[in-house]
Amino acid sequence: MKRNIINNRFVFLIPALIFFVAFALLPIFLGLALSFTSWDLINPIKFVGLSNFRKLLEDKWFWNSLVVSFKFTGITTPMLFIVSLILALLLYKESKASRILRAFFYWSYMTPIVVAATMWKWLLSQNTGFVNYALSLLGFSPISWLNNSITALLSICAAQVWILSGFMMVLFITGLQNIPLEYREAALVDGANRIQIFRYITFPLLKNTSILVLVLSIAYSFRSFTLVYIMTAGGPGYATTVTPLYIYQTAFTQFRIGYASSMSLIFLIIIMAIALLVMKIQKREEV
Amino acid sequence: MKLKGNGLSYTQIIAIILAIIFLVPIIWTVLSSFKTMGELYSFPPTLFPQKFSFNGYINTFKELNFLGIVGNTLFVASVATIITVFLCITGGYALAKGTFWGKSGITNLMLMTLFITAQVTMVPLFIIIKDLGLLNSLWGLIIPAVFTPTGMFVSMQYMKGVPDEFIESAKIDGASEWQIFSKIVIPLSAPLIAALSIFSFTWRWNDFVLPLIVINSNKFYTVQLALGSFQGQYDVSWNSILALSVLSLIPPLIIFLAFQKFFMQGLMSGGLKY
Repeated sequence: MKRNIINNRFVFLIPALIFFVAFALLPIFLGLALSFTSWDLINPIKFVGLSNFRKLLEDKWFWNSLVVSFKFTGITTPMLFIVSLILALLLYKESKASRILRAFFYWSYMTPIVVAATMWKWLLSQNTGFVNYALSLLGFSPISWLNNSITALLSICAAQVWILSGFMMVLFITGLQNIPLEYREAALVDGANRIQIFRYITFPLLKNTSILVLVLSIAYSFRSFTLVYIMTAGGPGYATTVTPLYIYQTAFTQFRIGYASSMSLIFLIIIMAIALLVMKIQKREEV
Repeated sequence: MKLKGNGLSYTQIIAIILAIIFLVPIIWTVLSSFKTMGELYSFPPTLFPQKFSFNGYINTFKELNFLGIVGNTLFVASVATIITVFLCITGGYALAKGTFWGKSGITNLMLMTLFITAQVTMVPLFIIIKDLGLLNSLWGLIIPAVFTPTGMFVSMQYMKGVPDEFIESAKIDGASEWQIFSKIVIPLSAPLIAALSIFSFTWRWNDFVLPLIVINSNKFYTVQLALGSFQGQYDVSWNSILALSVLSLIPPLIIFLAFQKFFMQGLMSGGLKY
């Protein structure tokens, strides 16, 4: 019996399995269970049935946070796509110069998010930031970037694009380098210009990479928490309070553990639904 | 296939201009970190420091306990990395080369958690950490973070590439399962172990969400938590915060420069910001 257990190599999985169950699987089920309760961490835990979810339907700040999350993702994703694709098109050919330049763009991705957020906050600071300084040189008056609902949202979007575009660029470069040169050469011989080649040959052949970039940038943007927490703390008002931040505030500043859990659950379902939707679209287009 | 370029083309010149624009946030922070407090808050701001001041840097050591928080972070990142690598190579081996009931089910379940991150499960995770008595301790930053679905997935894929013949012939020669693993599989996995170590260390060094919910005393602050928390405190000057930002950029930068190729291959692209 013992020999059999060792031979099937299940033993090797046990350490990983313990941590997987305790810290990846259990939280999901515990979160599910907690979402039917009311608990402030101090008083005894109370089962409240579906009342958290009923409250959620009427919580306008929860719906507001979802709208903010969708806006944030909706603005970030296309910007990220275009910026990283342009960078990749500029740098996909192998040469010493482009290897060095790629590293420069990738550095922003290596920057810890807290540091990136701090740097952007400082860059956009009303009186001491570089952006307003540059604007003042051009004769504009300073803008209070992070204190206005619209510019605050755009600012965190810009920071997110800055953080991720180097990484997405690498994905696009890999994709571009995998396209056989012959295709483009043939088109060139047939008299196609650069834009036509990109439009009809390169871009369609990049489809798989494009979908990967879209999925990742949607996933990353929906879960974005640290960037917003540091740059705006959700403000002004609730203008940049994305859902993960609202969940954090509900759980850890108001100590409404059960209510925050029900929010996490709904948010998780929404993320999953979007991921499935994107994959489904991808599958359909493959046929 | 490699496409060869020749010298600096106009596309590269555009790229250089874009790179400079891209680096503005970093350059501005580095320049500002060397300004005196007076200069930092003068309007219009100066581009270059008029008088180089190291006060911000001195303050991070004197007032912000820089060495302490770096020590905490190094401890967390190193221990977590050792455990993560162990879990990934053993687990990845089992999933790639094992034959047992429920293998594909477990694999799929693990892959599913790729989509679920601490940001979504932070409330129940907090309860588990609390019940284990790990709140406000450095182990509370290590134990819950060592399992990574990305790492498991990459390990499994890598281990699948280890030829079965090697394992079979060792078995015929009478090697035990553990000997096969330690004498054949581990040496063949050196590149995997290197990649996992680099990524795991970077993830733990850069992590903010877990420290934010687990740690509440400055004694156990990590670099990122310190940087995030000090910004809300009125007695900490921006001067020191900028210096701390610059200092905390250095380790990831060193890792990146030393192992550029691992990052640029997009090998472990999936969940780099876990």
